[in-house]
Amino acid sequence: MIEARIAQLVDRAFDYRGYVTLRRSDGSEVVGFVYDRGASHLELLDQSATRRMRVPLAEIADIAFTGEDAARKSQEIWERRQGTLESSETPAHGDWGEAGPVLVLVALEQELRAVGRALDGAPRAGKVRGRLGGNDVVTLASGMGKDPGPALAEWQPRLVVSCGFCGGLDPGLIAGDLVLATAVRAASGEVLTAPEPARLAAAAMLEGLRYRQGELVQAASVAATVDEKRALARSGALAVDMESYAVGLEAAEAGIPWLVLRAVVDPADSPLPEFTREARRDYTWPALKYALKGPRAAARLVRLAREFRLASDALTTGLRRLGPALDAAEARP
Amino acid sequence: MAIPASQMLTVARYVMKQRLAGRERYPLVLMLEPLFRCNLSCTGCGKIQYPSSILKRHLSVADCVAASDECGAPMVSIAGGEPLLHPEIAAVARALVERRRYVYLCTNALLLERKLDEFEPSKFLSFSVHMDGPRAEHDHSVSREGVYDVAVKAIRAALARGFRVTTNTTLFEGSNPERMRRFFDDMMELGVEGMMVSPGYSYEKAPDQEHFLRRERSHRLFSQMLGEPKKSWSFNQSPLFLQFLMGKRDFECTPWGNPTYNIFGWQRPCYLLQDGYAKTFRELMEETEWSRYGRKSGNPRCQDCMVHCGFEPSAVRAAFESPRAMGATVASMVTGRL
Repeated sequence: MIEARIAQLVDRAFDYRGYVTLRRSDGSEVVGFVYDRGASHLELLDQSATRRMRVPLAEIADIAFTGEDAARKSQEIWERRQGTLESSETPAHGDWGEAGPVLVLVALEQELRAVGRALDGAPRAGKVRGRLGGNDVVTLASGMGKDPGPALAEWQPRLVVSCGFCGGLDPGLIAGDLVLATAVRAASGEVLTAPEPARLAAAAMLEGLRYRQGELVQAASVAATVDEKRALARSGALAVDMESYAVGLEAAEAGIPWLVLRAVVDPADSPLPEFTREARRDYTWPALKYALKGPRAAARLVRLAREFRLASDALTTGLRRLGPALDAAEARP
Repeated sequence: MAIPASQMLTVARYVMKQRLAGRERYPLVLMLEPLFRCNLSCTGCGKIQYPSSILKRHLSVADCVAASDECGAPMVSIAGGEPLLHPEIAAVARALVERRRYVYLCTNALLLERKLDEFEPSKFLSFSVHMDGPRAEHDHSVSREGVYDVAVKAIRAALARGFRVTTNTTLFEGSNPERMRRFFDDMMELGVEGMMVSPGYSYEKAPDQEHFLRRERSHRLFSQMLGEPKKSWSFNQSPLFLQFLMGKRDFECTPWGNPTYNIFGWQRPCYLLQDGYAKTFRELMEETEWSRYGRKSGNPRCQDCMVHCGFEPSAVRAAFESPRAMGATVASMVTGRL
């Protein structure tokens, strides 16, 4: 039997059209929207509305009504404007805006191919268009370290995803691990926090895969040596790339939500050959030239090819998983 | 009556099959709510009051098809929210039409004209345009100026392109029967295939709680409105249901007749009440305590409800259970009298 006070709170939470915070007897908290209840449990949707949770009634110590009550809000709006109508000039989409696509920005053709596989589309002229989880997705390969501004202005996306490969800085990361950025750090030290609804929704979708959440640091050029990576790791970042900070900054300034999903190619203790510092459409010739340096270089190249394949497959899998989160991550209105 | 013969035959075959199989409870219309977000905030609507993260969610095409397959009802009413805000609504409609479901896509028509290119006309697809009465009444009901005119223009465009179009009218306290009769004339002159009417349900979460019709008042209003119906009027509804609205017949609610599916699951017990969700259609049908609902149950939330989602299935069922009721249905369809 649950106590009468909790039973009353449960009744109210079930009727409430907003998020509630359940405090468990062990002190932990769960935030969600209560949509169903059974004799001995509550069912909730998490704040991104993508993950379902079941909480036994016996574990609930208290319920706080922490989110805005949408029903009360609607009532207040109606009372305020009673007798007056919205203008006929109100946009036909109402508050929702005409949804732009999800824009996935990558730097390299190799990354574009990995995204293309997730979208079941082939790259053409540096672009792949397709659908993920019912969302229109446009992917552009804009080159290493390039300004994302023009792409955002052209596509007016509802969500931007900075996607591609990265270098591991945390010793625990191995090739093929996914990194979902909680924040991105500029080479100059400024930090941008990733918008939470998009990130939480993405995190819920990535569960079960090898992925970590943490900070990504920006490098001005490819961090190829172990020493370069060690220096960057001092910031506390999990991984390094060249584009995500600029994408996050540009999107934030445009008021567009953004996400960063990267796959580790080279772990912290694994150096990259010098030829990878330069962006190319095709690395075949430089790679062959590098392999001719000797057996050690050839072996390093074989290992690197394997790491690229692992990262590429992880990126494809991770993006496919993200599909439903791309809806939830729409930040507008 | 305006319902096409092929649709009537499909429904008749389906109901007979259920009866022959000895099924006590079976669905007639799947109420599919692929999303809750809307581009209007109507005074009597209690469907869209959710946090924005939930309003941003929608069912995928595959979810919608799976729900229809699981339910098996021959008709699907796509409601919401405003379905035309769904990025893949045309694909949802196409997939259901391919399964030979009779689809009623309910819309306020604000986006209809610009979205028509995405749809293909079919006898299985009908746009059911929300029209709560003449211009002033409708714009007041949806709380926005000009919506009636936009909807009329969209209806004309849809009809010109060969689409089936019906209207769906919800009535509240204060409706003027004479003006409503002229509104029915206007809609039929526009060329819609048929009209649907129903009193509004007193949603607890609707902003305006003062204008929901009580049962006796509904009887009076519908009697005044539908008494001596004009030959030109066509209703896309069972004549027995219209007689029920007029107080000439009494039915008990059939809440399982129009089961509702949305992002939370299968809504218990009906389209209007939210007493939780079942994970599967079977669970909804088998584990819902149906005796707790309907007028006879004494449930206060059911006492004034006369909404079509609960009583239209009762009317259809009654027609198949009694030769007399079937005779009355046929007679009304032939003579146009109620």
